[in-house]
Amino acid sequence: MNYLDLSIKEIHAALVERKVTPLDLAKEAIRRAKDSGDNCFEIILEEQALAFASSLIEPEQDNLLWGIPYVAKDNLSTKGIPTTASSEVLSGYVPLFNATVIARLKEKKAVLIGKTTLDELAMGGMGMSGHLGKTFNPYDPTHERIIGGSSCGSATAVASGIVPFALGSDTGDSTRKPAAYGGILGVKPTWGRISRYGLIPFAPSLDAIGYFTRYSIDAAILLDALAGKDAQDASSSDAPFGHYADSCLTPLAAPRILLLDDIIEAVRDETIRQKLKEAEEALKKQGAILTHARFGEDLLAAIRPTYIILSGAEVCSLDANLDGIKFGLHGKGQTYESAMKDARTRGISSLTKRRFVLGSYSLLGEKRDALYLRALKLRRKLVTRTLELLSGQDAILTPSALTIAPKFDAAHADLSEKDKAADNHLTLANFAGLPSITLPLGYSNGMPFGVDFMGHAFEEEKLFAIAHSFEKIVGICGEYAGFRKEKHGI
Amino acid sequence: MEFKAAIGLEIHVALKTKSKMFSAAPNYFSHEPNTHVTVYDMAHPGTMPTVNAEAVRHGIRLAHALHMDIDPLLRFDRKCYFYPDSPKGFQITQQFHPLGRGGFIEIECEDGSKKTIGLKRLHLEEDACKMFHRVEDTLLDYNRAGVPLVEIVSLPELSSGREAARFVEAIRHLVVYALASDGKMEDGSLRCDVNVSIAPRESDALGTKVEIKNLNSLRNIERAIDQEILRQSELLRQGMPIEGQTRRYDEASGSTKLMRSKAEAADYRYVPEANIVPIRLSEAFIAKAIEECPELYERKRERYLKLGISAKDADVILYDVAMAQYFDKVLACGAPTKAATVLFNVEVQASLHKMGKSIVEFPLEPKRLAELASLQEQGYPHQAVVQAFHYLLEHPKSTLEEAQLALSLTPPTQDEEGVLELVRQTLDENPRSIADYKAGKDRAMGFLVGKAIQAAKGRYGPSDIAKAMKEELGKK
Repeated sequence: MNYLDLSIKEIHAALVERKVTPLDLAKEAIRRAKDSGDNCFEIILEEQALAFASSLIEPEQDNLLWGIPYVAKDNLSTKGIPTTASSEVLSGYVPLFNATVIARLKEKKAVLIGKTTLDELAMGGMGMSGHLGKTFNPYDPTHERIIGGSSCGSATAVASGIVPFALGSDTGDSTRKPAAYGGILGVKPTWGRISRYGLIPFAPSLDAIGYFTRYSIDAAILLDALAGKDAQDASSSDAPFGHYADSCLTPLAAPRILLLDDIIEAVRDETIRQKLKEAEEALKKQGAILTHARFGEDLLAAIRPTYIILSGAEVCSLDANLDGIKFGLHGKGQTYESAMKDARTRGISSLTKRRFVLGSYSLLGEKRDALYLRALKLRRKLVTRTLELLSGQDAILTPSALTIAPKFDAAHADLSEKDKAADNHLTLANFAGLPSITLPLGYSNGMPFGVDFMGHAFEEEKLFAIAHSFEKIVGICGEYAGFRKEKHGI
Repeated sequence: MEFKAAIGLEIHVALKTKSKMFSAAPNYFSHEPNTHVTVYDMAHPGTMPTVNAEAVRHGIRLAHALHMDIDPLLRFDRKCYFYPDSPKGFQITQQFHPLGRGGFIEIECEDGSKKTIGLKRLHLEEDACKMFHRVEDTLLDYNRAGVPLVEIVSLPELSSGREAARFVEAIRHLVVYALASDGKMEDGSLRCDVNVSIAPRESDALGTKVEIKNLNSLRNIERAIDQEILRQSELLRQGMPIEGQTRRYDEASGSTKLMRSKAEAADYRYVPEANIVPIRLSEAFIAKAIEECPELYERKRERYLKLGISAKDADVILYDVAMAQYFDKVLACGAPTKAATVLFNVEVQASLHKMGKSIVEFPLEPKRLAELASLQEQGYPHQAVVQAFHYLLEHPKSTLEEAQLALSLTPPTQDEEGVLELVRQTLDENPRSIADYKAGKDRAMGFLVGKAIQAAKGRYGPSDIAKAMKEELGKK
């Protein structure tokens, strides 16, 4: 056993008792990072991390993140450290400022040991469109299966036990899907709960800072550290927060949980179906009040197109600053237009360009009504339906994904169109700005899968409490690829 | 065929605020390019806009003064276009929910009658970089990127170049006196685009709209519009269609030149600015912004006229807002209006001109000028007041009393009897001098006046004494 395998709370206790030092932890994390063959790093910050960890001498008793190593998705701005968002167009770009989340963790003296890969500019769900190529699922040594994106590197880093937690971002399901495929927790808090300042944006009306952990208590600890109003992000909320790490330990008395049958029924994997059923029974035994409902198949089918149009419309303007003039890849040409075209042609992949074109097209002239405005209306419908279902409930339970991590070359080839439509439901939390947490539920053929709880805005404490109780039912929390509890006898 | 023109204006006004519209970079002119810049102004990824409350207050004041409906829910949109002066590749503006809607402004026509011009909207937005085109390349100055702007759009209700110039002048007065902007066309803090369409006089429909850009003075606005009306009329007379175009005014030739046709116009792909959550402006915030609006041009002018200041004098004072502010301080110190106006418009203006200084650099405090004006009211001869003014200008730290002493200025008397008695007494005491005077020795008069002034111990003014002495001596 290594201290890195424990929960943040346990590592903290060991640090305070001086059984282990921040430097020991950083060294081990860096060793594991270097050993990883899953292509999850843009950069490993060995020198900086070891220097910073060495400077941490006196343990801070009240600071649970003191000396804890972590990694951050490379679309989070890090002062003096290259930040590429896994796109060539940002090669050579070194931010002059820290993202607020990075700054907050620095204040807490958590140790950043690396920046992780993502789908280029956070667009994509496969973890394969970044400029360094595919990021692999650590549970599949043959490297055939995806970890999922867009926070692929961060998910893989936590799922392979390199660090106890990792920062990501979540626009459609970019934290929760990879969490499910990697058998770890993925948290997307309420829109506005964590400052997005310094996050290279994808679609600000949907974007949230997300993160990965292996224990529910760690998820609560992280939100305690990251939440709160930030003057630099006008959309960050001043709604009260805090003490998640304490409150999550107290189980909700008779939590009301709604199960979405049209998602559950779309699951074809027998093991997943079985585990879902077992979970339902266990929840009932714990005193949960369960209700079944259907979201509506037509509406479910609208999620993906609505998402593609709205996020595309937002990103085509937001990424217009990537023009090869001010920073990043230097565009060559005699005129502004030619330099910009050169930088964007060479620096941006065709998949991403497709998103730009789609987004721009949906805003153009008469297309605006038929595509963009229609998508806005659909978003409103989807949000209304979600809130309607959530009303009177504490959370909505769904399988995070319908399958285990698919293969790169055959992603979802085995799903029908109808089932594919049901596999985008996690995006509902982005449309409605709601908090949503994915937890590990089990393994099928050695590959992990997860379950998701979505709650009311700014009621993360309820979700953490539910997650904490649920984690005990499932009994696999803390595991990572190559570290199964039954094997190690923990 | 007779034609009528319908002219609409879009005026951009750069606001005077401490910082920029959406960033903390300072907002004042710098000679050093690219020094008033933050990572936001350079559009570094991950930076986010925060709304400048001061700019919003200015916007509310202007919208209120223009009789507009104010939208209490502040919302912004992105206007997308690729251009070197646009760091983000989009401008944050208020396309769909402008801060102010409707409203009107009154302009004075040539014959002195008033005309009401309807307005469409007023919205907040941010400025772009300044571009310096050189032979080989173009330089960018990001100091201007993100400077807060309000755009005021009129209905096409103006009918001539002259009217349009009057309209711009009225808007300029408004923004300058609201202390919202410097309003200087020559510096680009007030910029104007014009839409001109013409149609047969009897037609109800508007003609095809032609936009003219790059108008940097009232004179150019007037000329460009009149030239454009002529150009379009000529085309219509020849039976040619008017094409929707964007043109620019060419100062050298005094005509408008084609920039691009509307068919080539960009589609701005507007999308809501999601990084700014809609801001609900409280009634108190709006009311306070309006309440704290400084006295505006029209109101000030009316007040001056009511105080008995001539229209000509009022316009001299109002030419510059800083002058009007100074003049108001003089009045506030209790200065009599008439004397203050003369002192200000003649002596102060002449001195400023001579010194080559602006009113803000003027060495005399408004209080001093008020005291000087009061001196005149007390009956001091104008020349004496002017003398004291110049003395104080050279000795700005001196008090009025010190000036009076130095210049031997004594107050004019109302007590003619007393003066007479003093003079007679002096004559009685100096019979010799009377004799000398009669003998033709002019110096005797000076001697007698001097004696009387001495004896007066400041009770009476020298000029009054001299006058009485001359009369009394004449009687001898």
